[in-house]
Amino acid sequence: MTDPPLTLERRMERLDAIVAKLESEGLELDDALALFEEGVSHIREVERMLQDADLRIERLIAGPGGTVETEPVSRDPG
Amino acid sequence: MSPRPFRDARGARRAPGAAGAWSAGGARPEAYTVAAVNAMAKEMLETALPPLWVQGEVTGWKRHTSGHCYFGLRDRSAQIRCVLFRSDAQRLPAEPEEGMEVRALGRVTLYEARGEYQFVAREIEGMGAGGLWRIAFERLYRKLDAEGLLAPERKRPLPRHPAAVAVVTSPVGAALQDILRVISVRAPWTRVLLSPARVQGDGAPSDLARAIRLAGRSGLADVIIVGRGGGSTEDLWAFNDEVVARAIASSPVPVISAVGHEIDTTIADLVADLRAATPSAAAERAVPDRAAMARELSTAEDRVRSGLARWVLKRRDRIENARNALTRSVRRTSRRRKELLSQYGEKLDALSPLGALRRGFAVPLDRSGRILRSIDAFEAGDTFGLRVADGTVPCRVEDTDLARENG
Repeated sequence: MTDPPLTLERRMERLDAIVAKLESEGLELDDALALFEEGVSHIREVERMLQDADLRIERLIAGPGGTVETEPVSRDPG
Repeated sequence: MSPRPFRDARGARRAPGAAGAWSAGGARPEAYTVAAVNAMAKEMLETALPPLWVQGEVTGWKRHTSGHCYFGLRDRSAQIRCVLFRSDAQRLPAEPEEGMEVRALGRVTLYEARGEYQFVAREIEGMGAGGLWRIAFERLYRKLDAEGLLAPERKRPLPRHPAAVAVVTSPVGAALQDILRVISVRAPWTRVLLSPARVQGDGAPSDLARAIRLAGRSGLADVIIVGRGGGSTEDLWAFNDEVVARAIASSPVPVISAVGHEIDTTIADLVADLRAATPSAAAERAVPDRAAMARELSTAEDRVRSGLARWVLKRRDRIENARNALTRSVRRTSRRRKELLSQYGEKLDALSPLGALRRGFAVPLDRSGRILRSIDAFEAGDTFGLRVADGTVPCRVEDTDLARENG
């Protein structure tokens, strides 16, 4: 069972939680190591995402039966 | 004082004094048809009085099912019957209240079929501050407020890092370009979902409402920006419409209203989760700033690393402390053991033959090393050794006349 890829928001929330835990009391070194690794992986992933420079614009269209579809749009929708 | 010449219903030029008046001779004057008279009168009125503004108090306002509105305008000494046809009535922000002072633009005319003098209005303005616009705004405000839709508790917080932002606005307006520019600078990874709509004129309110609902229904947006650039009160009027307000209020995700204007707040601003002064400002609130996030991440990395280091040091300290404690415990044990050993040593020492020798006792030993304990073991002339602490003294028995102890 694979989870959907983590959203940016979820990663940032997780990072906040990891920092708080590492700065709290009562951790075993093994736990601290695991949190450290997870924290660094989130940081690297988000940094990679920040590098993405192309703005994606899509138009919402009403589809059949109340659904909504998207179609790509150039930067200058006319 | 004769009436002026005019044209009759057949277009012939008539001078009433001539053909229709009593003439000396007794012939009956020609009679006009009612339709003719009314037509003449209507033409005279419309020729003599061009469109003009009339000010007065509204009385007896009635909107028919046809959409046409019938009312009276009056002042202290006169009144006039008025009509506002459907196509013009549709543009009214609100229907005037009874007794309200208004100005109406239109023309005086005659309704020929009934021979009624009336004023056909094209536009009506309220005389109070803000006029009919303010009336409409306040009526809707009170209505939505009574339903709790304007309550501050309803305002939802915006997501700090939205994956997608929906934008409801005109596809050709400056507002969209402003929003796109801000997002591409601050957070270009954000997915932008355009839900286009007319933002002014006929049909704009229902189009905006449809576009807002589409954005919400998509399930793809984390936040919705609804907006347009600046304009007059009339231009912005769609954002004071009830259907737009209700679409915003029932949005499943937070809505930022962005009606660029310096005038008043719109109803959309009041119902939205956040009001931004301009479309650019809305985009700034909707998405995080890339530079700020990079700093945030750098700080987070420092804290994560130092957080781990703290635990490593703590662990090392713990190990160090444990080792010290063990060492101290071992030392304590050895010392005690040594003390015990030395105590035993002394006791043994005291009990051992060597101890006795050191205290001055001597042991006579025969040639075979046997201890000679009794006088009976000695005879005169015998040789024996006398063991003292540090050696053996060769001895010979001189005399067996030895004194016995204890007789």
